[in-house]
Amino acid sequence: MILQVTNPLNSSELIFPTLECIHIAGFALSVGTIAIVDFRLLGLGMNHQSTAEVAADLAPWTLLGLVVMLTSGPLLFSSDPDMYYLNWVFDLKMVLLLLAIIFNYTIRRKTAYSGKSGTRAKVVACVSITLWVGVVFGGIFLAFI
Amino acid sequence: MSLLTFAQWVQSTPLFTAIRESWYVYPAIMSSHLAGISLFGGMVFIVDLRLLGLAMRKRPIADVVNQLRRLKWVGFAIVATCGILMLGSKAEEYYYNAFFRAKMAVLALILVHALLFRRSVYAKAAEFDRSGTVPGLAKLAASLSLVLWTCMVICGRGIGYIEPPLDKLHARVIEHLHQRAQSADRIVYLDTRTN
Repeated sequence: MILQVTNPLNSSELIFPTLECIHIAGFALSVGTIAIVDFRLLGLGMNHQSTAEVAADLAPWTLLGLVVMLTSGPLLFSSDPDMYYLNWVFDLKMVLLLLAIIFNYTIRRKTAYSGKSGTRAKVVACVSITLWVGVVFGGIFLAFI
Repeated sequence: MSLLTFAQWVQSTPLFTAIRESWYVYPAIMSSHLAGISLFGGMVFIVDLRLLGLAMRKRPIADVVNQLRRLKWVGFAIVATCGILMLGSKAEEYYYNAFFRAKMAVLALILVHALLFRRSVYAKAAEFDRSGTVPGLAKLAASLSLVLWTCMVICGRGIGYIEPPLDKLHARVIEHLHQRAQSADRIVYLDTRTN
């Protein structure tokens, strides 16, 4: 017997675009707050505060954004897994996302709380920004491949 | 010149034709648009949430507002430039797109918001710090900003969901082909007569 599974996500035309908007808001909040810390590491903004202060203030908002992004993302995926499964840009995006999250909670976190502000800190900020921009590019390009 | 003929002229210029005809330039510009939103959109969130007393509460409001102002403008310039490049390359399609029109209306409201509240709220951040209270007007400005930028995202995503009216876009092409077909008929007719 073949079990027919229907995803409730595909029951209304409005659900997918609504989830997409929530996904965008989620990454604007998570990546946006991460970027503020990165710009602080680069000495481009929030210079009256220490990097550690900025990072500590924004950590809960980054986490909230990540939760929103990582909830809406898999739901979007579930609407058409076959399309994503065969898409090599999607694979690349997932690898970059994993690297970006790991980097964020290891090296970058340590750097932000260490209070150091030399070349090393600036390189860390650039790597962080590059990884997240890569994730965004992957998200758009997977639809054009 | 109507707005439609202007749109047709804009997208026929060499730069915008080149963007439209390359498979990767258009998505690369769209990705940069979204990357700009993700790198700088968080600053709008945080400034508004600070005014509402929800984020960065240990830091003076003036510090948050003033130290992110320049970066916010840099972000806006990047995002707007990418937006204009996308608009120009598909100007005729955008002309017919209801979400695009709504998005421009929201953008106009954001401009009005900036003009209305720049002096009465954003320039007075240091006063709020001294008095220790944020007036209702400032909270209204912050809330409206969050609502308006959310509308920008919704309209922006909506643009891609409207099918371009192919009958209208192709009307000129079809007319041209029709004329050519008619003249081709005459040539065939002449040919048969000479044989």
